[in-house]
Amino acid sequence: MGEKILFALISLFLTINYGFLMNGVIRKIYARVGRRHGIPFYQMYIDLIKTLALRTNIRHGTMFYLGPVFRFAGGVGLFLFTPVVFGSAMFGNLSFSGDVLLLLSFQFFGTLGMALGAGESGHPNAAIGVTRGLAQMTAVEVPFVLALMGVAIQYDSLSLHDIVAAQQGGIMHWTLFTNPFIVAAGMLALLGSFMRPPFDVVLAGQEIPIGPPTEYHSNYMALMLSNRAIFPMAKAILFMNLFFGGANTYWEMMIKTFAVVMWSVFVGVSFPRFRVEQSIRWFLRVPLILGILGIVYVQFFMS
Amino acid sequence: MVSPYYILTIGLGLAFLLGLLGKKLSKVNIAVIMLAMISFAAISASWVWQFAFGNAEESLFFSAGFEPPFSIALKLGFQEAIIAFMVNIMGLFSTLFLWKKLHKENDKLAPVLLVLFMGLNMLILTRDLFNIFVFLEITAIALGGLILLDERKHAASAGFKYLLASSLISAVYLLGAVLVYFSTGSLYIDDLILGGPVAGPMAGIAVFLTIIAIVLELKPFPANGWALDVYQGAHPAIAAIISAGVGTAMLFVLHKLMIISGPMMAQMITVAGLLTFLFSNWLGISQRDSNRLLGYSSIGQLGLIMAIIGMQDILGDQFAFIAMGILLSHFFAKAGLFWISGIVGGSKLESFAVLRSRPLLLLMFGIFLFALSAFPPFPSFYAKWDLIFALSDAKQYLFITLILFGSFFEVVYLIRWFGIVVKNTSEEVKEKLPVNITQIIPISVFAAALLFFGYYGQHFMNVPINLNYIPLIAVAALWILDFLPTWVKNTLLIVATLFYGYIILPQLHDFAFIFAIIFLLGAFLTLLFGYSYKGKRPGFYPLVAMMFAGLILLVEAKDLFSFFFAWEIMTAGSYFLILRGKKSQPHAFSYMLFSFGGALLILAGFALAHSVTGSYTFDALTMVGALSPLVFIMLAIGFLTKTAAIGLHIWLPGAHSEAESDVSPMVSGILLKAGVYGLLILFMRMGHQFVLGLDLMVVLSWVAVITSIGGYLLASVQEDMKRLLAYSSVGQLGIILFGLTLMSNLGWLLAIAGVITHFLNKTLLFQAVGGVYSRTHDRTMYRMGGLIHRMPITFIFVLIGIISMSGVPPLVGFAGKWLSFNAVLSKGYYLQGVGMVLAGAIAFLYLFRLIHVPFLGQLKDHLRKVKEASFWILLPQIIILMIIMAFSALPGVLLEPIGSAVGKIFPTGGLTWQDSFLPFGSRTAISEYGYWNGTYVMVITMIIFAVLLGFQMLIQRRNKKVGQFNIVYSAERPSTPETTHAGYHFYAHYQKAVGFLIAPLATNFWNWVSDIVQSIANQIRRIYNGNGQVYLIHLVIYFLICFFIFNGGL
Repeated sequence: MGEKILFALISLFLTINYGFLMNGVIRKIYARVGRRHGIPFYQMYIDLIKTLALRTNIRHGTMFYLGPVFRFAGGVGLFLFTPVVFGSAMFGNLSFSGDVLLLLSFQFFGTLGMALGAGESGHPNAAIGVTRGLAQMTAVEVPFVLALMGVAIQYDSLSLHDIVAAQQGGIMHWTLFTNPFIVAAGMLALLGSFMRPPFDVVLAGQEIPIGPPTEYHSNYMALMLSNRAIFPMAKAILFMNLFFGGANTYWEMMIKTFAVVMWSVFVGVSFPRFRVEQSIRWFLRVPLILGILGIVYVQFFMS
Repeated sequence: MVSPYYILTIGLGLAFLLGLLGKKLSKVNIAVIMLAMISFAAISASWVWQFAFGNAEESLFFSAGFEPPFSIALKLGFQEAIIAFMVNIMGLFSTLFLWKKLHKENDKLAPVLLVLFMGLNMLILTRDLFNIFVFLEITAIALGGLILLDERKHAASAGFKYLLASSLISAVYLLGAVLVYFSTGSLYIDDLILGGPVAGPMAGIAVFLTIIAIVLELKPFPANGWALDVYQGAHPAIAAIISAGVGTAMLFVLHKLMIISGPMMAQMITVAGLLTFLFSNWLGISQRDSNRLLGYSSIGQLGLIMAIIGMQDILGDQFAFIAMGILLSHFFAKAGLFWISGIVGGSKLESFAVLRSRPLLLLMFGIFLFALSAFPPFPSFYAKWDLIFALSDAKQYLFITLILFGSFFEVVYLIRWFGIVVKNTSEEVKEKLPVNITQIIPISVFAAALLFFGYYGQHFMNVPINLNYIPLIAVAALWILDFLPTWVKNTLLIVATLFYGYIILPQLHDFAFIFAIIFLLGAFLTLLFGYSYKGKRPGFYPLVAMMFAGLILLVEAKDLFSFFFAWEIMTAGSYFLILRGKKSQPHAFSYMLFSFGGALLILAGFALAHSVTGSYTFDALTMVGALSPLVFIMLAIGFLTKTAAIGLHIWLPGAHSEAESDVSPMVSGILLKAGVYGLLILFMRMGHQFVLGLDLMVVLSWVAVITSIGGYLLASVQEDMKRLLAYSSVGQLGIILFGLTLMSNLGWLLAIAGVITHFLNKTLLFQAVGGVYSRTHDRTMYRMGGLIHRMPITFIFVLIGIISMSGVPPLVGFAGKWLSFNAVLSKGYYLQGVGMVLAGAIAFLYLFRLIHVPFLGQLKDHLRKVKEASFWILLPQIIILMIIMAFSALPGVLLEPIGSAVGKIFPTGGLTWQDSFLPFGSRTAISEYGYWNGTYVMVITMIIFAVLLGFQMLIQRRNKKVGQFNIVYSAERPSTPETTHAGYHFYAHYQKAVGFLIAPLATNFWNWVSDIVQSIANQIRRIYNGNGQVYLIHLVIYFLICFFIFNGGL
């Protein structure tokens, strides 16, 4: 057990650094698309040190104080419950705790805590951001769950290990090729889940400057920055495992998750922002239909 | 036996004597009349006694030694003795009730009253058709006199209409009697029976005329306008005599004459009676005048008993029990209600609000109304059960339908009236209602009689009675101890609950055991809250005990009757409890309507199932055949009204939110589970049913999905926190229903685990919200804000409640999510599964709103001095919190026992449990698809959280708390919490996107139904235009139509 914990911590350390670097690259891409020079790719480390070093820290109350702790604990937890590399003792993490449904639900642990913490700050923008996020999330969940269900039906399992195992044996065994409908539905849902444009209404930099985290600073910000490095990575790993055959080595994981994240980045830099009701309607149209097609496909053409 | 001629002699003799010496004897007049009435009652009581406990035999009496047809021939059997006794009791107590009035007007009224009751006695006893005519005339004249002699505004016109109608009826009857004599040469009923069916050229018409006259006397719809005016115009005490006394006697005359009628006539009487029952109650719905309303109800009840008399061949051995059960309820209740109306004085329904100044009178008013509505433990309840079962056995489905609709309409106006009286806020009760002892005694005796006959009556039922009266004794004891302070009664009830649990739990198994735990633990937890109330809370504890008694009897029930009995006790108890809320009257009313409608469907469903299988236990539901889908649908709808499935849910939000703070968790967290229990029993026995090849279980699974999504969506747009929780219950019950409809091991595991977690979460949240209300006296969330600073402990409870409810790990709510996904996958209900996931996502919306808007954001100025909720409000929440945390850490403790109960029904497809390397019995649940270990998740999450928190505390050693408005706010410093707090119309954008999904379709539909029902009633009511001549024409037309039908002319 001690070995497993140690391995999980190594895996966490590696991936969080990978996440930091990836976030730096993403910001660089954003800047370049906007014809700016942008920050260096290691900017995240500078930000992290800066925020940790800030001497002024205030709180609006206990929940506010705990919000980022919840958030980061949620991110770390999600990652630790996810098997990163197929068949690897080191990167299997603590995935014996639960299957993919645990991951599906656990991602709300941090979100909820953060939302409550932001709520206690008393800043109306925080609450507005949260309501937008929640509202959008209800719609994003639908195609994502359809996709997940399609995968579970197809591979007869909810265990990520089994799902990845079933996709071994060549690229054509990936869900991407065996059932493109559910992958399409899932990848469209991913856009909503990553909250980049056109679905970035939660942070809405212009109208409700950065939404829920408005009041957060110093160490809080550091925790949130760290979370932003690990949480999307955990999600990207999940998508990789579900749709893209998982990873047999850590390098393979890095490449595949990079591609997954870049999908949201490329869409993000290309589109302006949807209003909440627009994004809700959007998710309940094409992605929903694709998801249903995926289920129909898996049920009638694959069995 | 005492000769019945004494009654004739005393009645006539004294009436003449008083007439002659009236003024000279005026001082003792009333006493003399009273003595006469007592003698009537005593004589008839002696008959009853001798028939019941002696060895009296049926005997005939002929006057002056003549043989029939030249004597006044009387027959005295057990039936005659009972009916005469009832009528004489009515006479005695009417005289007592009218004591004061008689004192004032004795020379006019008293002798007439005596003659009336003498006439009624003779009508009951005589065996001679001509004598019947004579006594019909005597009673008509006496009654006409009694109505006319009153000084009320409409008494004269009422009396006149009565005389007009009764003379027409008498003429018809006389004609019939003449023709009978012409055909048979005798008027003596026993001769007519002995001679076989009445024969001869005019025989058919002769029988028709005699019987139709009595039917007309019983005021069949629609030829009863005159009677309604009489009920409305006469003094209420006289109306009581007409309804209970005269009505009873006339029914008996009809029963007597049925011997000479044929099957055709019987059928006509049945149809006439049922139509009267249906329409009279239907038209009563819009009635606002209390006496006229009681008139409608009287006519309806008489119609029902008339129909029962017509159906006596169908009902067989149970006829006497059914007829007497309904007659007794009508007799006591209607007399009591008319008397109460006499005390109140006003004629508006609202004017009865004055009864609130007299709790005992109000209690009796309630007893009478609920006896009429056929609730247990009143005789009509048992009788209606037997009636519906007998009709079902005889396949008389149309009759059942008419009776059920009539009963429903009756409940509509009776319960609405009760609600208005108990809770109407427009009527202020300032003064105590003046009453005197002579008025109270009759009412009390009749109310007590209803309770007595209720208890006594069940032994005559056609089903094996297996009722446990111990919980009901607790209810009665609490009524008696109602004068004690709250904390004493609360303690008594808690001790009683725990003690009863100690006795009963070892006797229960599987689902009954699980539900009993919920009900008993629920009672304990919600009663703890009760210590926070001061004073006496009059009437509260008996009602709570009644509801919980119903619930616990429900799980104890092993047969259909005990189940239905418990169901109705629970419904009545919960209705009263809900009605206690300040503004809950319309909501309690709509709760009752849905519940009662559902109960009628359950009753009919049980009856149909019994008619196929012949069983009175739940095994009746294992029926097969063409009827089984129908039975399934009826029972399912019946139970779904209680679980508030979409479309049948509109009563719930109001009822649950307007109830008192400690009642809301009772009705929401606990009571709803009764419906689930019913569904469980139904599904377990009937399983999949098909209509046109469509599996009803699939239909129900979609109903469940829509219920969940609809309930949660509606919850997220509420501003009132209790309404929010109420709608949330709608949604959660949808998930539980969904689990059941899966009809698989995991599905039922989901449902039962859902029942328990919903009970815990909803009780916790309703109590927390109750605590907030106790301090802020407000339920509108956006008017609050920042309460975390004032009520931090309550905040923690709400936090745990919402995390657990939202299904976020590591708390136990996740078990539901995990199970539902697995269950959906193994069943193949994928699309429904996605609907469930959508519902789960929407749940976040309202849960976040519930915690954010009142507790987070800006603290409002008026809440700055609010304190934490009191200890007794927090205590049950602490207990629930501990249970939730225990289940979260070790989900197996919750799921494994349920799994073993479910496994007995669905042996395959369940969870397997694997030991893990953590202590305390932590085990990993393994399903066909996935796995989950709640303990690991809990431990890992807590460790991560603790490490990060420690890190933060280390870094932020000098963290300072800042003031309320110290926020980044466009370089401004806000100062008004109201404008800085985001709380109102929280999900405006969401409503914009999917608002069309929550259009009030169900409410509009039910309003439409209610409008249609009332409009039809109002249109039909127009035939009652108050004109005596028109009423006569109605009688004639009715007579002619019946005549043609009878003779095959139509």
